Amino acid sequence: MPRPGFVLDVDRSTPPILTWHGEGFRLERLPADRSRVIYAPEPLAGLDDPDAAIWEALHQPRGDSPPLPDLLRAGMRLTIAFDDVSLPLPPMQGPDNRQRVIEAVLELAARAGVDDVVLICALALHRRMTESELRHAVGDRVYDSFAPHGLLLQHDAEDPDGLTHLGVTDRGEDVEINRRAAESDLIVYVNINLVAMDGGHKSVATGLASYRSLRHHHNVRTMRHSRSFMDQHNSELHSSNWRMGRLIRDAGIKVFQIETTLNNDAFPKPMAFLQKREWEWDLRDRAAYLATSAALRRTPPAAARSIFHSVKAPYEMTGVWAGEVEAVHAATTEAVYAQQLVPVEGQSDVAIFGVPYICPYNVNSIMNPILVMCMGLGYLFNLYRGKPIVRQGGVAILSHPTPWAFNPVHHPSYIDFFEEVLADTTDPIEIEKTYEERFANDEWYRHLYRTSHAYHGVHPFYMWYWGSHALEHLGDVIIVGGDPAAVRRLGFSPATTLADALEMAADTVGPSPTISHLHCPPIMLADVR
Amino acid sequence: MRALQVERSVTRFAAARAASGWRPGAGGKVGPLRLAEIDPPELPGPEWLRLRPRLAGICGSDLATVDARSSQWFEPIVTFPFVPGHEVVADTDDGRRVVVEPVLGCAVRGIDPPCPACAAGQARRCHRLTAGHLAPGLQTGFCADVGGGWSTGLVAHPAQLHEVPDAMADEAAVLVEPVACGLHGALAGPAPGDGLAVVIGAGTIGLAALAAITRFRPDIERTIVVAKHPVQRDHARRLGATTVVGAGEVRRAVRRTTGGWLLDNGQLTAGAGLVLDCVGSPASIADALAVARPGGTITLLGMPGHTTVDLTPLWQREIALAGAYAYGPEPSQQGRHSFDLAIELIDAAGLGSLLSATYTLERHAEAIAHAAEAGRRGAVKVAFDLRPGPRGPGRRR
Amino acid sequence: MTSLPGSTPPKRKVPVNLERLRDGGPAAWARAASRLRPRPSTFPFGPPTWPTSVPRPPLERHLGVAYDTSWARRPPARVARLLVTELLTTPAMRALARPEVRGLDRLASLDEPVVFAANHASHVDTPLVLSVLPEPWRHRTVVAGAADYFFDTRAKAAASALVIGAVPIERTRISRASTYQLQALLADRWSLVIFPEGGRSPDGWGRPHEPGAAWLAVRAGVAVVPLHIEGTRRVLPRGTSRPSPGRTTVTFGRPLRAGDGVDARALAVELEAAIAALADEATGDWYSARRRAAAGASPRLTGPDAVGAWRRSWALGPGGRSGRASAPAPGGRRWPKL
Repeated sequence: MPRPGFVLDVDRSTPPILTWHGEGFRLERLPADRSRVIYAPEPLAGLDDPDAAIWEALHQPRGDSPPLPDLLRAGMRLTIAFDDVSLPLPPMQGPDNRQRVIEAVLELAARAGVDDVVLICALALHRRMTESELRHAVGDRVYDSFAPHGLLLQHDAEDPDGLTHLGVTDRGEDVEINRRAAESDLIVYVNINLVAMDGGHKSVATGLASYRSLRHHHNVRTMRHSRSFMDQHNSELHSSNWRMGRLIRDAGIKVFQIETTLNNDAFPKPMAFLQKREWEWDLRDRAAYLATSAALRRTPPAAARSIFHSVKAPYEMTGVWAGEVEAVHAATTEAVYAQQLVPVEGQSDVAIFGVPYICPYNVNSIMNPILVMCMGLGYLFNLYRGKPIVRQGGVAILSHPTPWAFNPVHHPSYIDFFEEVLADTTDPIEIEKTYEERFANDEWYRHLYRTSHAYHGVHPFYMWYWGSHALEHLGDVIIVGGDPAAVRRLGFSPATTLADALEMAADTVGPSPTISHLHCPPIMLADVR
Repeated sequence: MRALQVERSVTRFAAARAASGWRPGAGGKVGPLRLAEIDPPELPGPEWLRLRPRLAGICGSDLATVDARSSQWFEPIVTFPFVPGHEVVADTDDGRRVVVEPVLGCAVRGIDPPCPACAAGQARRCHRLTAGHLAPGLQTGFCADVGGGWSTGLVAHPAQLHEVPDAMADEAAVLVEPVACGLHGALAGPAPGDGLAVVIGAGTIGLAALAAITRFRPDIERTIVVAKHPVQRDHARRLGATTVVGAGEVRRAVRRTTGGWLLDNGQLTAGAGLVLDCVGSPASIADALAVARPGGTITLLGMPGHTTVDLTPLWQREIALAGAYAYGPEPSQQGRHSFDLAIELIDAAGLGSLLSATYTLERHAEAIAHAAEAGRRGAVKVAFDLRPGPRGPGRRR
Repeated sequence: MTSLPGSTPPKRKVPVNLERLRDGGPAAWARAASRLRPRPSTFPFGPPTWPTSVPRPPLERHLGVAYDTSWARRPPARVARLLVTELLTTPAMRALARPEVRGLDRLASLDEPVVFAANHASHVDTPLVLSVLPEPWRHRTVVAGAADYFFDTRAKAAASALVIGAVPIERTRISRASTYQLQALLADRWSLVIFPEGGRSPDGWGRPHEPGAAWLAVRAGVAVVPLHIEGTRRVLPRGTSRPSPGRTTVTFGRPLRAGDGVDARALAVELEAAIAALADEATGDWYSARRRAAAGASPRLTGPDAVGAWRRSWALGPGGRSGRASAPAPGGRRWPKL
């Protein structure tokens, strides 16, 4: 029986706590009697027979949707859209949920005799996936059946001929999505709901949308009114997506949503110590920790990065639901909460976030300084429901080497954002006002996004907006162990050790501050009361 | 007379070369430069004057000499032993305060009739640097017969002297020569066509060129300046740079401004019409070739020395690569002399603040080390203070 | 905010008693220093410390009752244990506890595995009994050790199994697994030393017996030998770690057997009474003790009921709980009269 999440009050006999630090980790001793560590619930048991569960979900859909076989007929246009490489994190050991679901859907489509089937990777403004990434996501059988015929596509938000403008919501938001999807008789959307932010109407309304449409909710105002974006009922990001999703539905586009959830078993056996409570580390865990840290110290960063990025998570599917978008997503959200919620009492003055080597936007890539900010202040800070784990005016301490390094193929516009925009200002409003349009319309970025494997020119702005709620909420941000020049460019304070950082934090929040340490990954969601 | 002298000593040159490989400016300690008590230079001719230097700057070419990193090119056009120092503000015996235009052309050498270049007023291009009644030497400060600024006395021909306005401080006047250099380079290039200029390097020359662009080049609307050190960035912003970027960021900055593509090997599809390279290193020349637009011009203000660089873009894009050396009448400014323009520019742009520190001759090793690492140590120009009295040693601004 | 530890200032800033520091001399200073300076943790090289606020989970599967001790009854371990018993335990016990052994003659006619059931006051009890056991039981005996105490870590479990031949057993209620194991051992001609009180006496007085020993004997059809140990309480009382040499008496009782129709509960009562009688015998003379036993009036080992803690200690006589308050009065009573 997996144990629920747990909040440890740190006392003098508490061992040092594992803190992620990019491609590595440290054991940090926290001040006794005023610190707490928030541990994720243990992984729930996976489904015994995922394929049978998928089959059942397709035949017994949620909401007012007929079963999938009833929606399929010969001669129809069917589009299967699926989540991109940003999910799940780390990538899961095969077979991926998407492969299982897509194969089941295609099995039914084959029985119904559907000829016109196209698969679209719903990557919005993310980078295009590589062949090996696509093969991992959809499986070799699907890839080899569709890709050679040009039927396995990646969404192109800048294709002048590939988009359809469906209308404007009552709040004036343009809804423009992939033309092939819009003109299909049925869109089947296959998702992996890793965190509560994913899924629902966001799948189609964001994943298959254009920049023109996305900018209505990917902006500073929306993000500052999403508290947090992990809680769809208090998230302007989701309200906007829901308005768009309903407009898409009312425009007559049929979406059959299939959502899957995972447990949070993020690391394979040899690295199990990464998700264990430190005082329960046995001899093997300690040996694994010591061996890994010793090896990492001797490994060049690039090699360490490729080792970490080759790690595949032993995630297991915990649930699958299909049918009408909102009904499906209600069930999915509940399942995500069941795995991830940890009740936490009250806020603290300081929050410590160990930033790991991966975030949704650097799979097989470098976690550049902008992504460090996004991971720390965008994702980890927002892993809350109710209120943030750190109080208004408090301090966030991130732990990450934060090298001044970028992947020029994946993140070309990030480099310019870092060199030009952040050198000028770190204020999200100012950045949005002064720079966004030029980056969004830059021909070169557009070219790289469409033809290479680059994130869209505007994507670094979204990273910055993702953290804008935290920037507004916090009194200071300190990065432990980061490249000082890069950290200062981000507008944050560099510190060498956690002890230094805590002393610096005391300048902002007063002496002997209370401290929360989010022991993440594995992913959790702090339910702060 | 006390003077810093460069002697021809193979062992000292070798030692300087080795030491400066380890740390720039280390040649000041072990190299060919030494403080000596020498006889003042004799007056080469009746019209010549004796000068008593007040301040004498340390220039990049001086550092190259002291560190034994100068090009072999200079071998026949310098004479040993010489007293370096060509950025000089000095007093004449008749009580005038002057700056020295160090070029030793036909008029100074007593050659009559002058060579075609000197006849045209372009003494810096003189054909007879090795002839006449002076020993070979391209400038004051590289010639055995005339002395140099790093001493308490030198001789100069009246044609070399430019009077300093009374209102101008010595500390500003010592910058006239280097600012004239930068200014000349900034005025030398053609109109960029696209209104965009790139200045690579923000030492004294780079900043002077930037100030000159801001003041004298209305055809240039935007200037991207590559500055390595914070102090240089601050000056660059103050002197009118549109964008200031770090080393290694220039290609992206130019791409952002011109809207082209940056290809995999680092070349741009578009670029700037005029590029001023005020560094002269292989990397800076490669950057210049990468960011110059097809048909653009690169002006080399920095002394390049031996350089390995891929010139294919020069050919494929019809880029003009030109040097800009010294000073003279500036055609684009109605023939006004670079020195006069420099005096005006120093005053108007407040370039006097570029002088960061002064040293006595006795502390020359420290001075050389400071100058060699000026940017990193928050300085721009370092000079020797030769004025007698309590104002002297180690004064910093 | 208020719910977090540390949001209210701690009551005492310095975790040492300053008055004690003033009066206590170097020892108090050393103690204070160790409190102020947290002991350097060897984690992750050594095992982690356990946060005080987190309850310890039940033992891991392969430890505790589930610990397999069969390796300790194979020849190499038996030879090692024989050497330890003869070369270390027995001389040490002679020096430390100077045991006087009584009643061995009562076992003369016995040549079969038995259950030795003894009262329990000290860690010395086990080695003491092992050092005085006669043949044929001397090197074919296992000791029932509390699973939660002797078998909670791997190292402790291995050492217990090797040195004293311990087998894990629950303190209060014997599980099916350990019953089978012990029964099998008895059937395999191993004898068993067991302390029916289920643990060492907390205050010097005995504790009520658990029925396990008698029940096991009935199930296995073997005799129970009551055993009374006197004096170990003073050699190494519970709660101390430094023994002080003293005199002890080990009295073997007459083997008890469950007759036909006698159930385990009756045998347990009989066993408890027999040990009490042996205690009586150890402090006085045999016949008086027998008479009191026959009348059911042997002094109870569990001490007076329903009285204050101090009266229980008082009734225990000299050398109460701490064991060394004063030496026993010469010729004085070594077992209290109630």
